[in-house]
Parts: sequence; C-alpha cells; structure tokens
Amino acid sequence: MKETIEQSFVQLLRENQNILHKICRLYTSDMDSHKDLFQEMTIQLWKAYPKFRGESKFSTWAYRVALNTAITLYRKSTKTIQTSDYEKHSFFIKQEDYNPEEEEQLKAMYKAIHQLNDIEKALIFMYLEDKDYSEIAETLGISEVNARVKMNRIKGKLKKILNP
Amino acid sequence: MMEDLDLLKKDWKRSENTFRQLSEFELYKMIHKKSSSIVKWILVISILEFIILRGLDFLILFDDEYQNKMNVVHLYNFEIILTVINYIVLILFISFFYKNFKTINASSSVKRLMKDILKTRRIVKYYVWYNLFLVAVSSTVAVFSEVKNNSILNAFYSKHETTLYLISFGIIVILFLVFWVFYKLLYGILLRKLNENYFELKKIDVA
Repeated sequence: MKETIEQSFVQLLRENQNILHKICRLYTSDMDSHKDLFQEMTIQLWKAYPKFRGESKFSTWAYRVALNTAITLYRKSTKTIQTSDYEKHSFFIKQEDYNPEEEEQLKAMYKAIHQLNDIEKALIFMYLEDKDYSEIAETLGISEVNARVKMNRIKGKLKKILNP
Repeated sequence: MMEDLDLLKKDWKRSENTFRQLSEFELYKMIHKKSSSIVKWILVISILEFIILRGLDFLILFDDEYQNKMNVVHLYNFEIILTVINYIVLILFISFFYKNFKTINASSSVKRLMKDILKTRRIVKYYVWYNLFLVAVSSTVAVFSEVKNNSILNAFYSKHETTLYLISFGIIVILFLVFWVFYKLLYGILLRKLNENYFELKKIDVA
C-alpha cells in the first residue's frame, strides 16, 4: 500500500517538476543551489503528501509547498552568491529564440528579479504563472487588495532597477 | 515596462523546455534524503534546551554536599517541592510546544507557516526565561544562606552589606547578559531570514 502511494506521488512529482524548477530559478543563482533547493522541495512535498487530500490541484498544492520551502523552510549553506554565477546560469535562454536585443532585455529582467526579496519573488512567480490575485493573496496569507498594491510596487521597483 | 513583462511572460512559459527533466528513479532517491529544514533544527535545539535546563537541576539536587548544606539551612524540603513544581511546569511547556509544533504545515499560507514556527519557538523562549528567573531567585537565596552560615563571610556581610548586595546583583546581571547574548546569537542566526520575511509580509498587510 505504501509503495503505491509513493509511486503515485513520484509520478505526479515528475509530471509537475517544472513548477519546482521555475521557483528554484528565481530563488537561486547557480546550479548547485538550484539542485539543493529542488531536493529540499521534494522532501517537503513528500512529507506533506499524506495530508494532501486533493482539495486543490496537485500543481497548486505543490507550488505552495515549494514556495514555503524556498522562503521559510530551506536552510541554505552560507555560500555567498556571486552575480558572475548568475551569468553562467543562463542555460534557460536559448539564443535562437530571441534577437540580441530581446535577449539582453530578458537577462536584465531576470537579474532585476534576483534583486527582489523573497516575498516579492513569490509574487512575481505567481504573476508569471498567471495566477489571479485571490489565489496570490491566499497563498501568501494577505488580503487581495494588498496583493495588488504590492504587485504594483514591485513593478515600480523593477522599473527603477532597469532604468536607474 | 509592460513590454518587458510581456517578454518575460513569454520566456517564462518557454523555459519549461530548458530544464533537465528528472526521472522517477532520480526523484525516488531524492525524497528519502535528509532534510535541511529549519524546523528540524528548531525541534532539535528546543529538545536540548528542555533536557539541559531540567538536567542541571536534577544533578544539583542529588549532590551530597548540596544536600547537607541545604539541610543545615532547612531548605532541602523546600527544594524538593520546588523541583516537583518545576517538573509539572516542564510537562505543561512540553505539551504546549508539541501542540504548536503539530500546527507547522508546509501546505499552509506563507504567512501562516512563519507565524506557527515563531509561535512554537516562543514557547521554548518563555520556558528559558522561567528557568532564568528561578536561577536568579535560588542563587540569591543560596548566596545569602551561605553568607549567614559562614562566620567569616557573616562578619564581612555585617560590615559591608551594601557592597555584598551590589556584587551579588552584579554577578547575576552579568550571567543574564552572557546568556542573553549567546541566545540572541543562536536564534538570531537561525531565524534571521524568517523574521525578515515575516516582517515584510506584515508590512504588506497593514490595512
């Protein structure tokens, strides 16, 4: 019986792993940290899985646990993250998809996002995932109005970083 | 700005094709690895605190020399009563700690999870302060009993009462400070990010 639960969990996790990868990409700047955080997320998901009753989609539940892991639960090593590591971490931008100008724009955006704090990154993640504000508010544990206000502030902050 | 965000959204969706997909076998291995969670650390340190604080007490009580001294000043029975009370208090604190620890859930909202962790942690903090208070009280009592029963010290005491009070008070304050600094460092390091993020969330939701 236990094996079946484990099997179904791992299958769901494999199908939804990109959610975790995307969150790791926002919260880490190098491959090793990405792998470490990803691993901690899978452990936390497995631990919390028995309590998951399917009231929401697996993907929704998974990204919430993953965000909580990135923001609160995961205890990083005290490695200092250098911005030069970020440059090497550009495996996610395929050159042939964009013209040089667009590519530069994208790199600048991701770099700017990395300068946001943990809560702001969570908001950006959910914004990029096209989550509505009621879901964003519920995930963070704040009111919808304040989620909108904060999102606008973040857009302003990003603008300032990109156009100093 | 909107242009940039639209471009970002486009890339964000495409990026799913760029992550190396892990196999079920690789994921199987991962889920059974050791967790590097802050909650685990808080639990371990809290248990150690409960054990050490009560453990010291236990050792002192059954020390023969201490027993004799206490008997002389008729405090030994009082100590026994105090110890029983302390164990009852310990059991109460452990129950509260356990009850709050059980509420910590990775599926909660971001704010709720932080709140539950900090609440659980605070219970152990209160227990530590309770013990420090007891240590302050019992060491003051012990010091003055010792002084009164020691002829040399007693003579000194009669002549320099204020000085002795000040010295005892000073020592206790220094011990508190040392403990407080050590405590702040330990939990400062462990909970710094959590406190910062919790503060950030509270700032957003000030309505």
